[in-house]
Amino acid sequence: MAETSVAERGVRENAPAVSGGGRRRGRLQPHGLPWILPALVLCVGLIYYCIWYTAVISTWDWDGIDPNPEKVGAENYLRIAQDPIFWGTIRHTVVFFVVTFVAQTVLGLVFAVLLHSRVKLAVVYKVIIFIPVVLAPAITAPVFRGIFAPDGQFNWLLEHVGLGFLAQPWLGQESTALPVLMAITVWQWTGLTFVLYFAAMGQIDQSVIEAARIDGAGNFRTLVHVIWPGVRGTTLAMAILSAIGALKTFDIPYLVTVGGPNYATEFLGTYIYRKTIPQSHVGYGAALSIILLVLALVMALILQVRGGERRVVR
Amino acid sequence: MFEVRTRWGRILLQIVITLLVLPYLFPLFAMVQGSLAGDGWGNYEAVLAVPGLWRFFVNTVVIAAGVIVIVYVVTMLAAYGFGKLRIRGREVYFWMLLACLTLPEVVLLTPLFTTAQAFGFFDTYWAVILPLGALQVPFAVLLARNFVQGIPDELFEAARVDGGTVINGFRHLVIPLTRPIAAAILIFTLIGAWNNYLFPLVFLQSTEMQTITLVPQFFVGQFSNDQTKILASAVLTAIPEVVAYLCLQRLFERGLAAGAIK
Repeated sequence: MAETSVAERGVRENAPAVSGGGRRRGRLQPHGLPWILPALVLCVGLIYYCIWYTAVISTWDWDGIDPNPEKVGAENYLRIAQDPIFWGTIRHTVVFFVVTFVAQTVLGLVFAVLLHSRVKLAVVYKVIIFIPVVLAPAITAPVFRGIFAPDGQFNWLLEHVGLGFLAQPWLGQESTALPVLMAITVWQWTGLTFVLYFAAMGQIDQSVIEAARIDGAGNFRTLVHVIWPGVRGTTLAMAILSAIGALKTFDIPYLVTVGGPNYATEFLGTYIYRKTIPQSHVGYGAALSIILLVLALVMALILQVRGGERRVVR
Repeated sequence: MFEVRTRWGRILLQIVITLLVLPYLFPLFAMVQGSLAGDGWGNYEAVLAVPGLWRFFVNTVVIAAGVIVIVYVVTMLAAYGFGKLRIRGREVYFWMLLACLTLPEVVLLTPLFTTAQAFGFFDTYWAVILPLGALQVPFAVLLARNFVQGIPDELFEAARVDGGTVINGFRHLVIPLTRPIAAAILIFTLIGAWNNYLFPLVFLQSTEMQTITLVPQFFVGQFSNDQTKILASAVLTAIPEVVAYLCLQRLFERGLAAGAIK
């Protein structure tokens, strides 16, 4: 609430300043618009232009080269609605989001709590967990292709711990390819969740935790009733980021499985790429892009609004 | 957070976290071990001997540096504007910017492709730097604005009473005080720019313009899929980023703790 009132006050103060010249009102804050202009020109200019352009192309039947593309209206969208591969990508995205978000939240929270406790060599653990965030999927993809190959280290590991019967071509079959990609994603991004939780936990008032302890709350109850509500803001932000991240997923499925086998790991991102570049159905790809964009915006809005409600209720 | 009173409890905690961290270590271990299989260090020599590898590094450094400079300058200006100056309809601009966070890079491919060709940007650094910068700025502004808002107003007022201009306030207050969040932004931008795969793949076609994220793919052709050399190249390309992160780790954490998304 404080946020909006400050903003409103800013607007009201601003109004006479524009007509009468802000210089005389020395005590008021000066104009901020020139300061945000570069960011607006770069982001809003470039990105909104691209969105508009994509929206236009999405009504064409275009191969990307033809100077006179055929205008087909909403036909691309109608075809997408009947495209089983498209619905597959939506299913994969939903499963992917739910699984990776839950796993990252739980792991990130556990790591953050453990490393806030008195653990020796905490920096070493922190660095190990965060290094995957730093590494490019393009760099780690060959490593994972090797690890999950039929003769790779993962099957080797299974055999050496007596689980050899579980060994299988992880990336080569439809049933296991998606779970492996989700595991890779969790491996890659837990570090980020962890770092944000770790930072957020540092902000929780220590006296509240102590008070809970004096009231006889054990470690587990402190975690559930004090720490978890205390980092709600971070959880919400991570939910939005992972939802958008799931919709945007490209590098890992493209580089590890190329969307296969048999479209089992196709995501919207990889499908748009496949349609646009190798298959040159640029109009169709553009229509998919617009759908992706709308989904991402709706997702962000829903999570934002739901989060806001919950904050008010609390 | 967890209170462990007994000695055994503490040891148990240490064991639990060690076990939990092992799966994170395993792929890193597999990467280094794989890169040393066969010819051992010879793999690294073979990779380093490939002409053009140096060029890939330089390209990535140029692109990452360009993106970082653009993002830093644009973000700090905007964070000051959004955080401390008055702007009519500020929240509208802010949300316009944040909406860009939801944009997947694949959506930019076709428009940028045609535009870059029309303006002669295609196959130049700009074709990658500009869109990468545009995609990084919203998140950076989000982080930095929260941080700048946290700087006490009194500091700016005191500066103004002393006769300082807005620009002085920016130079002598915002720039030095935002160092922790700048470290966080630097790391995120570096990761985003250094690791990007799609833009170089599509917009940089000639061999001498390629970046290091395209190296593993390049070596698949070069060494007819010799896994050990590919992994050696992967380790080499990962080193600069890991070093950068280790150097900035402290500042990075401080910045997140102070300006983290709340």
